[in-house]
Amino acid sequence: MQNNFVNTATLHSEKLMLMELIAHELEATGTQKIAHPLAGKTLTGADTIVQVLADEGVDTIFGYSGGAILPTYDAVFRFNSENQRDGVEPMPLIVPANEQGAGFMAAGYARASGKVGVVMVTSGPGATNCVTPVRDCAADSIPIVVICGQVPTAAIGTDAFQEAPVTSIMGSVAKHVFLVTDPLQLEVTVRTAFEIARTGRPGPVVIDIPKDIQNWSGPYRGEGLMPIRGYRKRLVSIQENALSDAKCQSFFDLLGAAKRPLIYAGGGVINAGASEALRSLAIEFGIPVTTTLMGLGCFDTTHPLALHMLGMHGLASANFAVDDCDFLIAVGARFDDRVAGNPSKFAPSAKQVAHFDIDPSEIHKVKPADWHHVGLLAESLEQLLSYAHKQKLSSDFAQWHREIAELKRTYGLNYDRDSEAIQPYYVIETMNKITKGEAIVSTGVGQHQMWAAQYCDFREPRLWMTSGSMGTMGFGLPAAIGAQFARPNKLVIDIDGDASIRMNLGELETATTYGLPIKVIVLNNFGDGMVMQWQRLFHMGRLSGSDKSLRKKNFIKAAEADGFEYAKRLDTKADVPRVLEEFLAFPGPAFLEVIIDPEANVYPMVGPGLPYREIVTGKFIANRYDTTERTDPDSSEMF
Amino acid sequence: MRHIISILLQNEAGALTRVSNLFSSRGYNIESLNVAPTTDPDLSRLTLVTTGSEEVIDQISKQLGKLVDVVDISDMTGEDHIERELMMCKVRSADSAAMEKLTELRARVLDDREDHYTVEFVGGSQEIDRLILKLGSIGTVTAVVRSGAMAVARGAPILQQA
Repeated sequence: MQNNFVNTATLHSEKLMLMELIAHELEATGTQKIAHPLAGKTLTGADTIVQVLADEGVDTIFGYSGGAILPTYDAVFRFNSENQRDGVEPMPLIVPANEQGAGFMAAGYARASGKVGVVMVTSGPGATNCVTPVRDCAADSIPIVVICGQVPTAAIGTDAFQEAPVTSIMGSVAKHVFLVTDPLQLEVTVRTAFEIARTGRPGPVVIDIPKDIQNWSGPYRGEGLMPIRGYRKRLVSIQENALSDAKCQSFFDLLGAAKRPLIYAGGGVINAGASEALRSLAIEFGIPVTTTLMGLGCFDTTHPLALHMLGMHGLASANFAVDDCDFLIAVGARFDDRVAGNPSKFAPSAKQVAHFDIDPSEIHKVKPADWHHVGLLAESLEQLLSYAHKQKLSSDFAQWHREIAELKRTYGLNYDRDSEAIQPYYVIETMNKITKGEAIVSTGVGQHQMWAAQYCDFREPRLWMTSGSMGTMGFGLPAAIGAQFARPNKLVIDIDGDASIRMNLGELETATTYGLPIKVIVLNNFGDGMVMQWQRLFHMGRLSGSDKSLRKKNFIKAAEADGFEYAKRLDTKADVPRVLEEFLAFPGPAFLEVIIDPEANVYPMVGPGLPYREIVTGKFIANRYDTTERTDPDSSEMF
Repeated sequence: MRHIISILLQNEAGALTRVSNLFSSRGYNIESLNVAPTTDPDLSRLTLVTTGSEEVIDQISKQLGKLVDVVDISDMTGEDHIERELMMCKVRSADSAAMEKLTELRARVLDDREDHYTVEFVGGSQEIDRLILKLGSIGTVTAVVRSGAMAVARGAPILQQA
């Protein structure tokens, strides 16, 4: 080992000198390929991994150590101590309470920054604890790379200590999994993992690296990727699939024939960095925009054309606009069952459906599209715009705009404002007045998640972190931690539920350990609120397994025990504005438990599998449909 | 409807599992699956027989296209193709004319000892189904080993290796 030890500090200064030399040479010769400063040097496998991470621009690793990943943890330690500047490590290692926390931190980091999140864990339980975040990232198309230690190659398959079949387990849930069996392939494998994670429809990539491969030493090349010829071929064809003038014209023909066009935008817009292009298209042509849960923030929710969220718990105004539209334009959205519970009755007045996506499998999967385009979203929307500019195309949807404004006025969100109990809506609405749609908000899963989605504004993309497709309780706290590392100067708020936060409560200590000024709000309704809502609606109020009113948890003591200097309980309605101001302004980590009305429901609600006509809006939101004779959802459709 | 899908797959750890996992996790059927190496040592060729509506088959092809290890895919059913399957089976028969009858059915006898005939037959999958029924009239079919269907397009079309 000693002989193979690579002094990265020396290498670093060598790197700088080399760069300068190359720069001079470039000036002299014009086009010379810059060789990696470490090209040809001998590195251990572990150092190779860390060097590729550095080359990829990784500035934070989330992970938990253990036997099979020790060599790489050692390499990270050495890299950081040798390359630190003014005491700042270039690639700090953030250690959670549980590997699941590391996975969600990386997910929060990726969602907030748009960069690939990195997780580094040991074999066996370290890897299996990451299964949930890996599936969560696949389901929400979030790019992360998970590096798992594995037992040495010779021990694989022997039921060795802390051995788990990572390729089999992760193969079912990740975008891709690599098991490195040839050390000469290690460098290109790690580099290729980043490429796969961030390209096309983004997703999680797992690299399983046996300990002997980490301990191997050999030449560093500083370049090269794996062939993955099929993947790259398909990727290039999608990337190069530009919208022809004829196709642009056919889109604008459909738009020109429409009186009530509506953009239905999803998380794909955020992943593709297409928010600007979407905004231009919507505003220039006056097309109203509703977004999915994952798409929140891709279009400024405070804009007059914004309808906010659609779907099962979407705003009634947004859902009515979907029912009214005659041309539906799906952009980076996939007609998920929480949006189109009943696909054939979704957007029933739409004479035409247009669908933009980067994933060919989403076209016609749920709702047949009359016009579709598979390609890069930002580029596609820009091509449409530049065609429209060239042809001097314009539109006039003034009547539709009046209808939209009326829908928003009449069927907007509302709640019992005179209630003595603290209503959760009031808490989030008040918070939103302070944060003005500029804070990063993460959530757990359940009622609080839907209330946060409904009542928070998002002026820009990458402010909203939520487990959309998988619906993983416990997501909020670690995601907030990851997001704060990605955006240190942003206000990061975890709006959580009492049941969700319990799932990863250990991460409270992680927040204080790293001095992160995140704000944790727990809306306590003493149970699994969404489950209780469904049990009240569909199971005659039998609260099987969901009522936590007799539990002993003292959240304030828990937060204090984990080092929160600000930890308060809010149970008086009149105190809400003052306490929220003080809580959000607290300079360090802050924890606020709010005792809310345990009977509060999420409204509007479209029952599972039902069309929007069956929307239930509760007592405080107007409904334009008569739903006195409610259809009960099919009991097997209820998920 | 029955579809034959041919796939070129990179020989990576877990690649075959990812193909079969895709079918089980998305609820698609696999009627038969044949896997063998190609002249390129990095690639295997899979022939998969499945059933489903046009929408399901379309999704299967598209979902297969999302697997990183998949190099190329072709739904043979959509184009003019040749299908073959190899079957080996054992027939137990005391019939003295067994050998003659087997040959009449175009089953090639590979081994014959103590009233046990091991035969080989190559044909379309349905032809094989029919043959197995007919073999029942000669004796008792004690074992059937089938390769699963293999298919190749007629004329120039091939799967793209790069």
